[in-house]
Amino acid sequence: MASFEDFEYQVIVVGSGAGGGMAAHVLTEAGVKVLMLEAGRDYDPITETPMFQQNHEAPLRGTSTSEKNFGYYDATVDGGWRVPGEPYSEAPDSRFMWWRARMLGGRTNHWGRLVPRFTPADFKPYSTDGVGTDWPVDYDEISPWYDKCEELIGVCGDNPGLDDTPSSSDGVLLPPPKPRVMELLLKSACESLGIDAVPMRRAILTEAKDDRQACFWATPCGRGCSIGAAFQSTTSLLPWANNTGNLKIVTDAMVREVHLDDEGNASGVTFVNKTSGEDVRIDGEHIILAASACETARLLLNSKSEAFPNGLANSSGQVGRNLTDSLGAGISGYIPALRDRPRYNEDGHSGNHLYIPWWDREGQKNGSLNFSRGYHFEVGARFSSPGMGVAGRVDGYGKAAKDDVRSNYGTGIGLSLRGEMLVSDDCYCEIDDEVTDQWGIPVLKFHWKWSEQEINQVAHGLEWGKKIIEAMGGIVNNPDRAAEEAIEEGGQIIHEVGTTRMGEDPATSVCNEWGQTWDVENLYVMDGGVFVSNPHKNCTITILTLAMRNATRLAEQLTA
Amino acid sequence: MSKIYNPKMSRRESLKRIGTMATVVMVGGVPVACDPVEPETSTASPTPTGGHWPGLELEAITGPTYGTDPIMTSPEAPWPLTLTDVQRDLAAVLSDMICPADERGPAATDVGVPDVIDEWMSAPYSRQQSDRVQIINGLQWLDDEAELRFGSNFVAATEDQRIAIIEDIAYRAQYDVPEFELPARFFSRMRSLVFGAYFTTPEGIEDIGYVGNVAIAGEYPGPTSEAMEHIREVAESLDLPPITEYVNQ
Repeated sequence: MASFEDFEYQVIVVGSGAGGGMAAHVLTEAGVKVLMLEAGRDYDPITETPMFQQNHEAPLRGTSTSEKNFGYYDATVDGGWRVPGEPYSEAPDSRFMWWRARMLGGRTNHWGRLVPRFTPADFKPYSTDGVGTDWPVDYDEISPWYDKCEELIGVCGDNPGLDDTPSSSDGVLLPPPKPRVMELLLKSACESLGIDAVPMRRAILTEAKDDRQACFWATPCGRGCSIGAAFQSTTSLLPWANNTGNLKIVTDAMVREVHLDDEGNASGVTFVNKTSGEDVRIDGEHIILAASACETARLLLNSKSEAFPNGLANSSGQVGRNLTDSLGAGISGYIPALRDRPRYNEDGHSGNHLYIPWWDREGQKNGSLNFSRGYHFEVGARFSSPGMGVAGRVDGYGKAAKDDVRSNYGTGIGLSLRGEMLVSDDCYCEIDDEVTDQWGIPVLKFHWKWSEQEINQVAHGLEWGKKIIEAMGGIVNNPDRAAEEAIEEGGQIIHEVGTTRMGEDPATSVCNEWGQTWDVENLYVMDGGVFVSNPHKNCTITILTLAMRNATRLAEQLTA
Repeated sequence: MSKIYNPKMSRRESLKRIGTMATVVMVGGVPVACDPVEPETSTASPTPTGGHWPGLELEAITGPTYGTDPIMTSPEAPWPLTLTDVQRDLAAVLSDMICPADERGPAATDVGVPDVIDEWMSAPYSRQQSDRVQIINGLQWLDDEAELRFGSNFVAATEDQRIAIIEDIAYRAQYDVPEFELPARFFSRMRSLVFGAYFTTPEGIEDIGYVGNVAIAGEYPGPTSEAMEHIREVAESLDLPPITEYVNQ
């Protein structure tokens, strides 16, 4: 067995977020010894999360800055759209935003915890509409794993039975919280338009589970959750894995390269000890990469050898290709009829209690839409803790203006479109030969271009968003905004996947259906890189589920 | 000049003030997400037609930032405050004109709004630095305008005189009046900051009626019966299908 600092291990896991955390949990529970390498610092949500701190206690009332892009209290450590000392580049005319965190647990510490399942059609896009590529797995095979994963992490929601919302088995889900009044009005408005608004599934404990407490309906989840009610690997998967005695975590360990031996197996990795700045080479019998889709692609592309001059496990040339993000756009407005509405506590679980799933699969089938696939709307509409933007469009000054701010409070609604973009040859990442990070590791260069498909989908969403807000008696902000203007940047929704996709053909995919690379038998990918397409459903639950399934198979092999 | 506004936050008092007026205009480097207020900065030429605008250039603030890994459980703004006494007095008078005391809540200066403005404008981040250029110039414009109209600075002017000036710049429609465009944009930004600062204080939170951020045991209580009754009436007035509490299917 390989060893590091007197710890013997069978598997190296690179990354401690959703995929890495789940892999470590499954393997260590099965008795497999795991060495986990995390590029960021150690992080303890129990002591570090700013629970209940208010905006006025924070610099600039908690407002976003270049150092804390999602506001002062966001959980992200040493990251965001920029990581100090770790740049990336963009090809001319390409814009890509890449959110990273350098902390134990990675981006699971601040994510939205929205966990919709993929549908049967989502796994078979080509068979459904003749565009793109089918996944090598289908819904029936993954569905029991979704159940297991949801039960393990804790998901609140229900089974409305729509074709965009596959049901979980009985007893899996925790009850969803009651909708707030704006969401009830939205639901009624949607009903008038013939569409549905249903409970959003979130990885929030609405009842206590194992040693994690139930949500107490206060303080935003993006800060992290010291009581474990909002799922993150640092309050669940990692402590569970640690408790088995089978896990050793090394933080501040930035993996530079995966090594290959003469037999064509992965033999270990070299990581930078960020504290000392020194390279450390360790052996490994099995290596799981779960550094995030783009970091994993970068690591493979930077691991060159005679056998793989274009990057490890890249005989297909697909590493870094097929990069997708969710399509994003927002439309907002305010509802005059709700001015001065009765106050009550609308914190809830701090996310949307209802959302609008995609409703027009029929339209796709009969060809009445000018784009493939679909989107959903997430909803922001509640009395939230006032921030620096509270005055909004209020005009004038003095008592009249002050009264206006009070009256307008809680009348705003924002709909966030999250859609499926198609895999495209125009969107990928590669190594920038001219730029390295502070550790001397070559960085990624991103290429990005939206197609008509995405623009048309956003245009459809803006039109429907307007309809919905107007049905609520609302006045839409920027009603004439064009789709080209409204569409958010590639990467901005932080759902980037696909760079090491799985498939049935080694010539066109990097991994097989188990996340095992075709080229290197003992090398696995267990992050979003393995996605074949990027359905509009937020990706993390499927990352977790696939990692659970694929790590279970590996554990069975290693303990057989 | 005597100080008419006393800072409310004592932790600030020991912080060293640094000079304000100098030579270089700070321009932010990276585009940054900021508070959701729309920018009130102008794309117009720096000198309004037929009007005046100080056009002060300010030395870039390069003081300490809180970094990418602050200790969030004990937040601290590490940068020194930079407003001069004169500017703070002006900001204080203006803050109370924007946000006066009334039957529902205190005045801006009662809850330390000028301290927040000072912290904001002294912060070494791009958005705040562009606000600083706009606001320092705007405050100076108020003094200049008061001097031109009444032969007095803004603070020393009578209340009626101050109102006469503010009435010319307090409304967005006045962006279209060439001589008042820049002052009106300054005023809009100031209004946004003042109300933002006010309504984020504990007093302001109570005033606006935010009642969250408290732990609740058991299930989320949801809307009160008063709130449900209200939303039912709203739905009816909008000819929408009746509101029903969502029932699990």
